[in-house]
Amino acid sequence: MAYEAGVSATAFTAHVERNRPLGAGYFVLEFAATCETGVADVVPGQFAMVRGDWGRDLLNPRAFSVFEAADSRHFSILGKVFGRGTKRLAAAVPGEKMTILAPLGVGFRPARAGVTQLLVAGGVGLPPLHLQAKRNAAAVGPNAVEVFYGGRTRDDLLLLEDFEAWGVKTHLATEDGSLGTRGYVTKPLVSRVREAAQRGESVELLACGPTGMLQAVRKLGLDHGVPTQLCLEEHMACGFGVCLGCAVPVYGEKPYRYCCSDGPVFDAQEVRWS
Amino acid sequence: MNTSAVDLATTFGPVGLSTPFIAASGCFAYGEQFAAFTDLSLLGGISTKGISPLPRYGNPVPRICETASGMLNSIGLENVGLEVFLSEKLPFLREQGLSVWVNFFGTDFETYIECARGLNRGQGIDVLEMNISCPNIKKGGIEFGTVPEVAHRLTKACVEVSEIPIVVKLSPNAGDIVGMAQAVKEAGAMGVSLINTITGMAIDVHTQMPRIATTYGGLSGPAIKPIALRMVHQVARALPGFPICGMGGISNGEDALEFLLAGAHCLQVGTACFAEPGAIVRITDELRNLLHRVGFSTPSEAVGKLKTRPQEPAWSA
Ligand SMILES: Cc1cc2nc3c(=O)[nH]c(=O)nc-3n(C[C@H](O)[C@H](O)[C@H](O)COP(=O)(O)OP(=O)(O)OC[C@H]3O[C@@H](n4cnc5c(N)ncnc54)[C@H](O)[C@@H]3O)c2cc1C
Ligand SMILES: Cc1cc2nc3c(=O)[nH]c(=O)nc-3n(C[C@H](O)[C@H](O)[C@H](O)COP(=O)(O)O)c2cc1C
Ligand code: FES
Repeated sequence: MAYEAGVSATAFTAHVERNRPLGAGYFVLEFAATCETGVADVVPGQFAMVRGDWGRDLLNPRAFSVFEAADSRHFSILGKVFGRGTKRLAAAVPGEKMTILAPLGVGFRPARAGVTQLLVAGGVGLPPLHLQAKRNAAAVGPNAVEVFYGGRTRDDLLLLEDFEAWGVKTHLATEDGSLGTRGYVTKPLVSRVREAAQRGESVELLACGPTGMLQAVRKLGLDHGVPTQLCLEEHMACGFGVCLGCAVPVYGEKPYRYCCSDGPVFDAQEVRWS
Repeated sequence: MNTSAVDLATTFGPVGLSTPFIAASGCFAYGEQFAAFTDLSLLGGISTKGISPLPRYGNPVPRICETASGMLNSIGLENVGLEVFLSEKLPFLREQGLSVWVNFFGTDFETYIECARGLNRGQGIDVLEMNISCPNIKKGGIEFGTVPEVAHRLTKACVEVSEIPIVVKLSPNAGDIVGMAQAVKEAGAMGVSLINTITGMAIDVHTQMPRIATTYGGLSGPAIKPIALRMVHQVARALPGFPICGMGGISNGEDALEFLLAGAHCLQVGTACFAEPGAIVRITDELRNLLHRVGFSTPSEAVGKLKTRPQEPAWSA
């Protein structure tokens, strides 16, 4: 089971403090909440539902992993322009008002002594793993985590300088070969998992990214008997377990659990994907 | 008169309400999650997720998608089932100091009756809201909501086994909404709720696939408000005095007053609660202020007060 932080979600209003474009459609939005919130207790993988003053259009809020949380009033998200909602958010200006619900859901398990966490990020799946790497490097030491980070081209690989600053080892992959291994990030990951098996080293996988990547990571984890947690995405209307829209197919007593309230982090063994 | 002179308390048939606002079925689950974000005692009532005799696990994903000023859903009437509802969900609801409406459905005559009878074992239920729309269940569900004669028989059968007043939730997919309302009224329904979602679809052009797994789903939100208003108005005109609970796209105080003017006696708010768990509390304040500005001192004063536009003289050629 994934690690649960307890119920600290708050509904609040925040203002955009800064909008930091990172190129290739990526942006970091920094928020200042107008009241005390529970975001400082965020567990990596937990998320925020974010909506601007959008009237009767773009009805439902959009889900974003919490990227950084400085204190109970300040946090940020890292987004990528995808459709209409993310396009508006990418164009947000300082002072703009947002309504937010955060932190929501169940995040990743913290690092354990003697187990190396291999963090597998694809594209915009970076934010929760960036936070996990930062926390683990500080709490357990930089060798407690290694980052596997894949994207289409070098422009998709963001904030590499942060990992360097924390002393966290990175394995990079791009589909066009412009940076790191050419191909999918699962390529260096497979070698690393095999190497760990040979050396008798304990590892676990934490992954967030496109579904294709998550399916490959899940299979790898299951095939090698490596504990694997996946941070999933489902279409969400509410984000707090009332609309029942974000069902995730699972094995077990019931055929579905909910991405927003039981996840978004799920054990790979639990997820019912063919 | 200041706004505090506006008294929002009202009645719906025999049911007293502290405000005209009920949280709409399927948009508030069983109320528990909202307690973390909003003061439930400020609501007039809650209508639960639709209950069936046995638990249902719902439809495959994707179950929802957003559309222009609205959303499509095909949840599949997933719910905890009658027994779990009575033992685990109802006690919480009954303690919130609001009107408890239990939305229910079956898959055929027998299961509708079984559910109505079973819910009568529960303590503290004010209204049974019978959902005859069921766009998301395959088996025969459509007829209950679209054929007046069938709706009449179904309502009558459930009214006969229920001490709790039954309000029938009508489907906008019915051809003759007035005929449907009349049929359930004559069968003994205490009132009607309208409207449920309107069947629709959306297509992803990149994958050339429907955006939700079941192809068709129920449209809700501001996009459906004009249709909902029209239906409330038609039923109110045809059946004066018959209690109508109006809904469909209410997202602010003005929307709420429009429904009252069209003839609704109380209101439900659904989709708006997803983006904003405190939406109903905000809308309640907005309605209170608006009633004051427009010159009504209670919501019931506004009910059905739609004026007719002055007519131009007819042209004769
Ligand atoms: C738990 C969770 C965490 C996420 N974290 C991040 C993050 O840190 N950074 C980031 O850039 N993106 C993240 N996403 C994805 C992000 O929510 C979508 O990219 C965004 O909702 C797309 O909205 P849009 O209006 O631009 O796209 P549109 O296609 O116009 O959106 C239409 C509808 O589909 C929904 N939708 C579309 N794509 C997705 C998706 N992949 N997941 C969920 N709903 C979707 C939207 O919310 C909206 O309701 C996360 C999603 C989830 C569920
Ligand atoms: C996700 C979702 C689930 C719903 N589930 C039910 C249900 O179980 N029973 C029911 O009678 N109506 C259900 N409805 C319909 C609403 O109660 C309401 O009639 C409709 O959404 C119109 O109101 P709105 O525009 O304010 O949402 C559901 C609506 C949504 C959006
Ligand atoms: S998004 Fe509404 S239940 Fe998960």
